[in-house]
Amino acid sequence: MWTTPKPNYRRGFCAEGEIAVNIGGVRVVLFGDVLNRYPESRLAELVKCPTQNHEVVSSLCDDFDPSRKEFYFDRDPDAFKCIIDVYYFDEIHIKNGICPICFIKELEFWKIDKSVLDECCKSYLSEKEEELTEISNKVKVILEDMEVDQCFTRAQRCQRYLWRLMEKPGSSLAARVIAIASFLSILVSAVVMCVGTIPELQVTDSEGKLVEHPILEGIETVCMLWFTAEYLLRLASSPNKLNFAFSFMNVIDFMAIIPFYVVLSLTHLGTSSMMELGNVQQAVQALRIMRIARIFKLARHSSGLQTLTHALKRSLKELGLLLMYMSVGIFVFSALAYTMEQSHPETLFKSIPQSFWWAIITMTTVGYGDIYPKTTLGKCNAAVSFLCGVIAIALPIHPIINNFVVFYNKQKVLETAAKHEVELMELKSGREARRETRANRET
Amino acid sequence: MEKSLAELNKAGSRSMSSLQPEPVDIMHSKTCFRRVRLNVGGLPHEVLWRTLDRLPRTRLGKLRDCNTHESLMEVCDDYSLEENEYFFDRHPGAFTSILNFYRTGKLHMMEEMCALSFSQELDYWGIDEIYLESCCQARYHQKKEQMNEELKREADNLKDRDGDEFDNTCCAEKRKKLWDLLEKPGSSVAAKILAIISILFIVLSTIALSLNTLPELQDTDEFGQSTDNPQLAHVEAVCIAWFTMEYLLRFLSSPNKWKFFKGPLNVIDLLAILPYYVTIFLTESNKSVLQFQNVRRVVQIFRIMRILRILKLARHSTGLQSLGFTLKRSYNELGLLILFLAMGIMIFSSLVFFAEKDEEDTKFKSIPASFWWATITMTTVGYGDIYPKTLLGKIVGGLCCIAGVLVIALPIPIIVNNFSEFYKEQKRQEKAVKRREALDRAKRNGSIVSMNLKEAFARSAELMDVVVEKGERPHDNNLSPSRWKWTAKGATSETSSNRSFNAQELGSQDKGDDSPQRLNVQKLEEMYNQMAKTQSQPNLNAKDRGNRVNKQRDEIELGAIEDHRPPVLGPREGVGDMKSLSSFDSYISCATDFQENPRFLHSPAMDLGLQEGNRLSHSPATALSHRSSAKTGQQTSRECQPMLTPVSVTKPSYSDNARKFFFSGNSKSLIPKGGCRSDGESGVSPLSDSSVLSDHSLLSPEVSIYTTASSRTPPKSPESTTLAPTVFTFHDSSISKYIDADTDDDEHLRDISDASPSDCLLAGTSPKRSININYQRGTNHLEVAQKMLGQNCLFPLDGIRGVAHENHVGHEMAHRPKVERGRQNTLDKSL
Repeated sequence: MWTTPKPNYRRGFCAEGEIAVNIGGVRVVLFGDVLNRYPESRLAELVKCPTQNHEVVSSLCDDFDPSRKEFYFDRDPDAFKCIIDVYYFDEIHIKNGICPICFIKELEFWKIDKSVLDECCKSYLSEKEEELTEISNKVKVILEDMEVDQCFTRAQRCQRYLWRLMEKPGSSLAARVIAIASFLSILVSAVVMCVGTIPELQVTDSEGKLVEHPILEGIETVCMLWFTAEYLLRLASSPNKLNFAFSFMNVIDFMAIIPFYVVLSLTHLGTSSMMELGNVQQAVQALRIMRIARIFKLARHSSGLQTLTHALKRSLKELGLLLMYMSVGIFVFSALAYTMEQSHPETLFKSIPQSFWWAIITMTTVGYGDIYPKTTLGKCNAAVSFLCGVIAIALPIHPIINNFVVFYNKQKVLETAAKHEVELMELKSGREARRETRANRET
Repeated sequence: MEKSLAELNKAGSRSMSSLQPEPVDIMHSKTCFRRVRLNVGGLPHEVLWRTLDRLPRTRLGKLRDCNTHESLMEVCDDYSLEENEYFFDRHPGAFTSILNFYRTGKLHMMEEMCALSFSQELDYWGIDEIYLESCCQARYHQKKEQMNEELKREADNLKDRDGDEFDNTCCAEKRKKLWDLLEKPGSSVAAKILAIISILFIVLSTIALSLNTLPELQDTDEFGQSTDNPQLAHVEAVCIAWFTMEYLLRFLSSPNKWKFFKGPLNVIDLLAILPYYVTIFLTESNKSVLQFQNVRRVVQIFRIMRILRILKLARHSTGLQSLGFTLKRSYNELGLLILFLAMGIMIFSSLVFFAEKDEEDTKFKSIPASFWWATITMTTVGYGDIYPKTLLGKIVGGLCCIAGVLVIALPIPIIVNNFSEFYKEQKRQEKAVKRREALDRAKRNGSIVSMNLKEAFARSAELMDVVVEKGERPHDNNLSPSRWKWTAKGATSETSSNRSFNAQELGSQDKGDDSPQRLNVQKLEEMYNQMAKTQSQPNLNAKDRGNRVNKQRDEIELGAIEDHRPPVLGPREGVGDMKSLSSFDSYISCATDFQENPRFLHSPAMDLGLQEGNRLSHSPATALSHRSSAKTGQQTSRECQPMLTPVSVTKPSYSDNARKFFFSGNSKSLIPKGGCRSDGESGVSPLSDSSVLSDHSLLSPEVSIYTTASSRTPPKSPESTTLAPTVFTFHDSSISKYIDADTDDDEHLRDISDASPSDCLLAGTSPKRSININYQRGTNHLEVAQKMLGQNCLFPLDGIRGVAHENHVGHEMAHRPKVERGRQNTLDKSL
C-alpha cells in the first residue's frame, strides 16, 4: 500500500496510463491502474473510455481539453481530495469542515459507494441525517397545518376546521382561547381536588360522613363536562380515530375523565341496586386517586414537560441504573444498620424491612428523624450510607440530565431550522410561480 | 502564494498594456472559453460559465453579463482577459462553499467559519442566507442570533456611555465629575474610596438591623413594647443619611433623570431608603394612636423592607448583577423548574394523602396540608415534622425523594449554563469598556486620527525620505548585524545589542538635530529635545565601553532580581490597547490601499511576495504614528520619554513572537529615525499591542502585561543596560506559550522562512533553536524594516530609487548568514 503512487498535483502532461483531471481548478494527474481498483467509479470509467468518443466523454465529465488531455469536472476540489483517498487507502474520512450531507452527494457523483466511509465519519453522518429527518418531520407537520383546505365535502372541511381549533393553538385566535380555557380548567379542577380534602371545607351528609362541599362538587362537574366535551370533539375531528385513541396524551385525557363517570355510575347503582355499600365506597375511593391523572394533562400545554417525558423515555436505562444503585444501597445499609443497632435496648430498627425506610430517607439526604441510629457504630454506618447515597444518586443522574439538556437545546434548534426551511420552501415556490407567470407572459 | 503573486503580476501587466479593454474583447473572451478561472484571495478556482448562470442575480452571475471594463471592475476586483481569470479580494475559505452552492444547489457552511463573517461573505456574493441547507442553518442562525445579541448589547452599552452628555445644563463640568465619582468607581482613587465607604455603610446598617432584633439589646417604650436600641438607632440614622445623600447626589448629577429613576439599581436604592422615612412619618404623625394595631403592623412591614438595602451590594458586585441578569434571562427554565416541582408536589401530596388518611392521628389531614410534606421531601430538606407512617405512604415517600432529586436537577444545568455564559460575557465586556475608555482618552489626546489614506501615505513618504537620507546608511551597514546577533543569543548578545543601540544613537544623535526642522512640525521638535535628554544616557554607556564586560555580569544579576519585581500595570496598558485598535485599523486600511494602487505591483518589493505586502502596508501605519505623535505633542512625548531607552527596542523583540510583521512596523519607526525616535515610540506601543488585539483570543493576557511591563521598566532603572536581562528572562517563560498559542503566526513564519533561507536552515536544527529563530526573525524584520523604510519613501518617487531598495534588500540577505556565523565578530564590528 505504501508503494502506491500518490496523486500528482503538479502541472504537466501525463504519461501513458495516466489521466489528468481538473476538479474545479485543481489539476491532478492520476494513475489509471490505481483508479481501476474501483471499476464502477466515474474516474475508472473515464480511464476506460476512448478519448475520441466525445459523447461518452461529455457524459462523464463537464469539459474536455483535447490538447492537454485534461478532463474538467465542475465539482468541489476539497471534497475530491478526500474522495481520491479511497483509491489509495480503501477508506474515506470526511475532512473537517465539509458538511457530511454535501460530501455524500459528492460521493454519489464520483460513483463511489457510501460504505467506504470510515466508521468515525459514518456516525457523524448518521447524526446529521437523523437531525435532517427530524427537521423534515417538523416541516411536514408545519406544512400540514398551513395546507390549504383541499377537502371538498363540507363535513370534511368542518372536521378539519375543528381539528385545527382543538389541536393547534397557534392557528387562530379562537384556538388560542380554547387552549387557554382548557389550561385554566385543568388548574381549577386540580385546585378543587386539593381543596375538597380540607376537613373544614367539607360538609357532613345524611349518614354523618364528611363529603365534598356542594359548590366544589359543582365546579368539579363543570370541569369534567368541559374535559369530556373537549375529548369528544377532538375524537370526532381527528382524521385517524385509532391513532388518536392510543396516543399518549389522549390516553391521559381519557384517564382523567373516566373516574368521574365510573364514580357517578357506581354511586347511582349503589343506591338503587343491591350492591354492597362498603364495596362501592372502596371502589369510589380508589377511583378518586385516579383524578390525579388530570395534572398530566398540563403536558399538552407545556413543551418543557414534553421534553421531560422524552428525556425520561430516552434515559430509561439510566433510570434503571439509578433504581438499582438505590436498591442495592438500601439493602446493604438497612441490613448493616439493623445489625448494628441490635445492641441498643431502645432501638428504632425493629426489622430489616422497617429499616428500609430509614435507608431511603438517609440516602436521599432527606432525614426526617423518625428513625435514627443510636449506637456509635450505627451512626458511622449512617454517615457512610449518606455519602454512598449522594454518589449513587449523582452518578446515574448526570446522563439523565445530559439527555434532558441535549433534548432541550435540540428542540430549540429544530424549531428554528424548521421555520427557516418553511421560509425557504415558500421562497422557492414563490420563485417558481414567478417563473411560470413570466413564461406564460412570454408565450 | 506563488500563484497569487503571478496573478498579481498578471493583473499588473493588464493594467499596463491594455488599460481599458474593449467590450468586444470581453465578449470574445467570454465566448471562446467555456470555463472561467476565479481567483478569490489567491486561491484559484475553475468553473463553467454554465454553472454560474444558474444564479444570474448573484455577483458571479452578473459577471457573465458584464461587457464593459467599468461594469466588470464593479463586480470583481481585477481581471485578466488573456488568462480568462477574474480576481476577487475576498476570504477564500468561505468561497469554496459558495461556489459549491452554484455547483450543487446546496449551500453549506464551513464548520469552522464564524457565522457573522460568513453572512458578510454571503452578502458580498449576493446570496440570500435563506438558501443555507437546514443541517447548517440551525447552527448558522443560532450563532448569528447569539452574535447579534452580543453586538446589540455592546451597542447598548456604548449608547449608555455616549448618553452621558452633560452639555445643555448648568455646571456640566462639575456634574460630570460628580457623576464619574459616584457611578464609576474605576475612574479615580476618590471614586474607589467612595465605593468602599458605601459598601461599608451597607454592611454596617445590615448588621445593625439584625442586632436590633436581639431581645437583650432592645429597650421598652412607654407602651411596654420593645423598640430599637438608641445607639443602634443612631447608627441606622447615620447610614440612612449616607444613603440618602448618595442617592440625591447621584440623582442631581445624572444626565438623564428619568432613565436614572427607572434604573433597577436606583430603584433598589430608593427602596432601601424609603421605608425609614415612611416609618418616621407614620410614627410621628400617629404618636397618639400608635397603640392601634394597624399602624404598628404597617410600621413593622416597612421595617422588614429595610432589609432590601442588602441588595444595594449589587451595585458593587458584577457577580450579583450577572446573577440577576441570569435569572431574568432564564425565566423560561426557572418556570420549568417551578412547574416540575409544582406537579411533583401535587402528585405526591395527593398520593400520600390517600395513603395516609385512614391512619390514626395522621398529620396528612388534607391534600393542601400534605403540600408542605411533599415540598420538604422533594427538596430533600426533611424536617421530620410530618412523615408517612403506613407502608404505602413510605413507598410514596421514597419515590418522592428520588423524583425530587431528579426534577430539581434537570433544568438547573441550563440555568447554570446561562449564568456562566453571561458571567464570561460580563467579564469580557468589562475589559472592552476599559479598552474603549482608553481609546476615548487617546482620541481626545489626538493620538488617533481617522485618516485619509492617500494623505497619510504621502506624509509617510515625506517623513521617510528625511529619515532615509539621514539615518539609513549607518544602521544598515553596521548596526543591523549586531542587533541580529543580540537576539540570537543570551548574555553576550544582549550586550551587543546594547552597544549597537548606543552606537546607533550616537550616529543618529548628531544627524538627528536638524531632522525635526525638516519635518516642519514644531511639536516634533519639542519631543525630540526631550528625547535627546534621555538618549544621553545610552550615549554614556557607549562611551564607557571598557567597562562593558564587568557590567554585563552585573546586568545579569540585576536582571534576575528585577525579574521578580511585579510589572507595574496601570492606565498605560489601556492606552496601548486602544491605540492598537486604531493602528490595526490603519493597518487594514493601508492594506486595502495597497491593493488598490496598481503602481505598487511593479515595485521590486513585489518579488518578496506576501511578506512584502505586509511591509508595504506598514509604511502608512508608521506614518500614522508619526502624525499622531506630532499632534499629541507634549503629552505624548512625555509619556514616551521613558521608553526611549534601548530597552524599548528589546521589547519589540519578544512581543514579536506574538506577531511578526506588525513588529517590523515598530522597529521601523524606531530605528532608522534616530533623532525622531520620540514620535516613533508612540507608534511602537500601539503597534506592538495591536497584535494583542488582533489575536486577542489566542494570546495569553501575559503578552500585554509583558509589553507593558517592559515599557514600564525603563524609567525605573537608572541604567538602560540593566534592563536587557529583565526582558530576556521574559522570553524564556513566555516564548513557548506564544509559539503554542499562535497558529496564525506559523503561517507567517513560513512566509518568512521562504524569504530567508538561513532561517529555514536554523529552524531545522533543533526545537530550542526555533525560539531563537523567532528572535532572529524579529530582528530580520528590524533590519528589513529599515530597508523597507527606504522603499516606502521611494514608491511615490518611482523607479530610480527602487533599484536602491533592491540593493538594500539584497545586501541585507547577504548579511544574515554572515552575521549568524560570526556572532563574536559582529560584536566588534558594531562597536
